[in-house]
Amino acid sequence: MSELYQALAQGLLIGSTYGLLALGMGLVYGVSGVVNFSHGDFISLGMFMCLALYSAFSLDPYVSVLITVPAMTAIGAVVYIFLIRPMVGHQFLMVVQLTLGLSLVLQNGILMIFGGQPARTPSVVESKLLILGDVVLQVPHVIAFGVSFVLAGGLYIMLRSTDFGRSIRAVHQNAHAAALMGINVGRVQVLTFALGIGILALAAALLLPGTPIQPTQGLRYTVITLLVVVLGGMTNFVGIMLGGLIIGIAEAFGTIYLAGVLGLLMPYIIFVAIMLFRPQGLTWKSRQ
Amino acid sequence: MREEFYKTLSSPLWWGVLVVAALLPLVLSSYYLHILTLSLVYVALASSWNIVGGMAGQISLAHSLFIGIGAMLSSALLLKFGVNMWLGMLISAALSGLLGAVIAWIDFRFQLGHLSFVLITLAFAEMGAIVVEGWDFLGGASGLLLPRDTGNFWLFQFGGGPGAFWVMLTLAAACVLVNIAILNAPLGYYLRTIRDNEKAAQAIGVDILKYKIMAMVISAVLASVVGTAYVRYLTFADPYLLISPVITIEIVLFATVGGLGRAYGPALGALLLVPLGEILRGKLGSTLPGLHYFIYGIVVIAVILVTPRGLLSLFERVWWSWRRPAPHQ
Repeated sequence: MSELYQALAQGLLIGSTYGLLALGMGLVYGVSGVVNFSHGDFISLGMFMCLALYSAFSLDPYVSVLITVPAMTAIGAVVYIFLIRPMVGHQFLMVVQLTLGLSLVLQNGILMIFGGQPARTPSVVESKLLILGDVVLQVPHVIAFGVSFVLAGGLYIMLRSTDFGRSIRAVHQNAHAAALMGINVGRVQVLTFALGIGILALAAALLLPGTPIQPTQGLRYTVITLLVVVLGGMTNFVGIMLGGLIIGIAEAFGTIYLAGVLGLLMPYIIFVAIMLFRPQGLTWKSRQ
Repeated sequence: MREEFYKTLSSPLWWGVLVVAALLPLVLSSYYLHILTLSLVYVALASSWNIVGGMAGQISLAHSLFIGIGAMLSSALLLKFGVNMWLGMLISAALSGLLGAVIAWIDFRFQLGHLSFVLITLAFAEMGAIVVEGWDFLGGASGLLLPRDTGNFWLFQFGGGPGAFWVMLTLAAACVLVNIAILNAPLGYYLRTIRDNEKAAQAIGVDILKYKIMAMVISAVLASVVGTAYVRYLTFADPYLLISPVITIEIVLFATVGGLGRAYGPALGALLLVPLGEILRGKLGSTLPGLHYFIYGIVVIAVILVTPRGLLSLFERVWWSWRRPAPHQ
């Protein structure tokens, strides 16, 4: 029984971060219809920025976010303005290929700078444990859980009740009508993309303590994020967080209960199974 | 409808280029022959991918799975059960085709249009990589080492060097020919209709599922066969090369750089980029690992921004404006 609680707790904790990773992608997809296949490599970039800051100034990843979040937000804005915006109006699939190219550039740029050896970035809380009855939790995971939900809540409130949030939702529902209402659609798209990448910098710092990182990991994060976004019905906020929890729990159950390959496959199997029966994802309304 | 295909088959230029290419091993050093052989592997792979990705507009990221099955399964069958590699090639190709059909069918149930295909194929590619790296039968993370190539044709051995080059040349030419054949057959027209407007295609009675599955199966079988030949040439079945989604991304980028949906586009992209990448890797690989991938990425981004239809159409535009100056001048 304690094993079950352990798996559940672990899955919830890691799943919340997956949800956070996916929120950025869902937000961008909703506003500009772009699916960013270099998403995971931006997570890598955020992690390696933390590593660089640690090596240079021995900054803790949780402190580094003060630098990496603004830096990544700026990078996101530049990428959108110079690479993705020129593609608007072309076939949707060209953007996919462009971001695949960007993924190679990022991944191998990191490889050339940092080398291919797995690296760790120490943090003060790295090896601390939190013990609740039978369940042992790693403190970095607990922090990640808390921050993810606070951030998701903050984003939700921002979308619901600030002018910027309303303009995002307006562009998502009907970009043309939003433009007629005086919303600068181009500006909203740039800011959303930048925000999406900025969130990744934060998520990267949350995932970092205790995790060895290497330049080639990006694609795996992209895949996990995509699974979560699709499960969540692409743009549904609650659905995406729920999707993150499901994938996280599937992963935790897979690694604890099933040996070897089958355990690692668990998130994918769950994903394919859910999508076969609910092709529209976990949203309640069916897609039109 | 098929005239174009027969015209190519009877074209002296086509056969002339092939014969000249086939004579290259006599003059090239082994280093350049190796680069050219690799380029032909990617010509074949990019051309086979083009059937699904270019013509039907379905960006498949699952091709690492088919290449990987062709390479790892045929090697494992040979090493663990002593199955002749020709038979292994057929078994792998059949399995790849079946898997391709299943993936196309699962995708059809999704309701996200072109996007879902990218997602589900990427998920399958990751699953494939996890299975191969975790299952010792297929070599696990350390890979499989094939017996030395003695040049015995009946054992799927071509003697390395020139022999492997000729095999790859045959495969590359075959894949390009299949492209030309499909482009000029009804299947090619259906696929392009599906790419350009799926709803309209359905409305005029095109059986979308059937043609998507057909495209995927043909493409998967070709990729799998090339995978088997490639692993025989490499002698070492390296899972991090052959079943990693990166190999698919490379193929997609070559095809995009050359020109999607065209018969010679993917071949052009591979013939330009693979030698560039290999020479860069030979010169700078030890000091700057990953530089060639970095350059591929830059090139594809530049090509997409400058000429989204690929280099082939750029060359054609330049050629025609040179041949026929614009009338209003």
